[in-house]
Amino acid sequence: MASNMSAAVDIQGLSVTFERGGSSVAALDRLDAVVPEGQVFGLLGPNGAGKTTLMHVLLGFVPPTAGQAAIFGTDVRRAIARQRIGYLPEHPDTYRFLTARELLHTAGRLFGMRGPALRARSDALLERLDLTAAANRPAGTFSRGMLQRVCLAQALINDPDLVILDEPTGGMDPFGRLQIRALITELKARGKTVLLSSHELSEVEMVCDSIAILYKGRVISGGPAAALVPAGESLERFFIRTIEAVDARAAAASGKGGAHA
Amino acid sequence: MRKILVIAGIVWMEMWRRKTLHVLGILLAATLLLLFSINVSGLGRIPGYVKETGLLLTWLLGWILSINIAVRQLPQEEKRGTVYAMLARPVGRGELLLGKWLGAWLAATGAVLCFYVLTVLIVGGFGGRFGAVALLQAVSLHGMLLAMITAMAIALSVRLTQEAASALCYIVTAAMFAFVPRIPEFVTTAAGWRETAMLVLYTALPHFELFDMRRRVVHLHGPIRWTTWTLILLYGAMITAILLIAAWLAFRNRHFSRTAKD
Repeated sequence: MASNMSAAVDIQGLSVTFERGGSSVAALDRLDAVVPEGQVFGLLGPNGAGKTTLMHVLLGFVPPTAGQAAIFGTDVRRAIARQRIGYLPEHPDTYRFLTARELLHTAGRLFGMRGPALRARSDALLERLDLTAAANRPAGTFSRGMLQRVCLAQALINDPDLVILDEPTGGMDPFGRLQIRALITELKARGKTVLLSSHELSEVEMVCDSIAILYKGRVISGGPAAALVPAGESLERFFIRTIEAVDARAAAASGKGGAHA
Repeated sequence: MRKILVIAGIVWMEMWRRKTLHVLGILLAATLLLLFSINVSGLGRIPGYVKETGLLLTWLLGWILSINIAVRQLPQEEKRGTVYAMLARPVGRGELLLGKWLGAWLAATGAVLCFYVLTVLIVGGFGGRFGAVALLQAVSLHGMLLAMITAMAIALSVRLTQEAASALCYIVTAAMFAFVPRIPEFVTTAAGWRETAMLVLYTALPHFELFDMRRRVVHLHGPIRWTTWTLILLYGAMITAILLIAAWLAFRNRHFSRTAKD
């Protein structure tokens, strides 16, 4: 595949079809997208739009039905493509019987890290995410917020060049959301690429350089955040208007009334 | 290889921290001591009885432990959601599978070794003894049997729920022990396609009875020939490899997708 060398993520004609109850469901439909290196890229869309499916394709959980996707030029179907990725899932959980330090050491060893470098990186992350005091406690004793932070620490153990965050502030208190936003800003300042999926549009407005809106498996709108939303309009209003416009066009084309689910 | 060992290490840590093995060890010791303190018809003082009971319990616990440890590995990873973080790292599906199998096998085998040691100590306390070489062969063949059983449990758990895989594994392994050695008896009374089917089954199904040296060990019949021992181990390794390859083929294209919301 012709790779876009300045792209952290390069998606060309990506389709994913699931067989459900005898019928085919197109979760992604000939999707094209490029996530430039060093940017914070927001992925928006209503439930069922394909955001998580897209992330799962990039992470190798789901093979594409058609099309291609590459991370830093490496096809996502190869395990080595994930060497430079950090991933925080929507409902993070971990091995509750391991301590925070053990979790980070285990995660680091899976990336080939070891010895003093691994220990130093683990200690730095524990301190950065306010987990030093709980470092030697089993994760099963952690609060929800602490669990989320230790999962985030695991996602960052390999100092990834691409960080994929699926609803990172879901269920978090304001302090937690502030911490995540600060972390995203820090990652960007260090030249990292962040791919972020979120329903918190105000947060997306604050941190994202570029945005793509997914609906029914396709990108229906996208571009630099500053230029995408018309002046005087909020991202939320623009988002809703964009979705409604697509539904209206689809209804006009089919001659039937269509309702957004 | 390093990643496989890291994943196996997670399995061992879980078994250790959950204290599953501690409880089973105490249960085994308590059961053995209780049984041997009951002198029914004078049997309690006969070393052969003590040996036979100890080895039977070791085999039963090993069977239960190997299935229970292995069958929960992949389903629990998916249920917890930790499979997503695991596969998001540069870990191939084959490495994950091998790591889980290795961890389960070594955890079960390690526990069984402790049970053997316990049995040897208790038997020794009652004045009995084991032939060292025969016991070594018996333990190693038992370990290979556990490798096959854990591979079967892992293979079934790739596509079935934990409960279904567990039940099926118990049924299949029990049938292997009970049914396969008796097929030659059924062949003598069968004819035509039934006879052919029986012979095909006898050839194709794993022979778990080959790995059972308890009678030789209990009655001090001495070790088997090293050539035979080696061939049985290779046979077990082949069956284990076939089961793990089947598991990998079922696992490699499996979709993992939390699509409840999206």
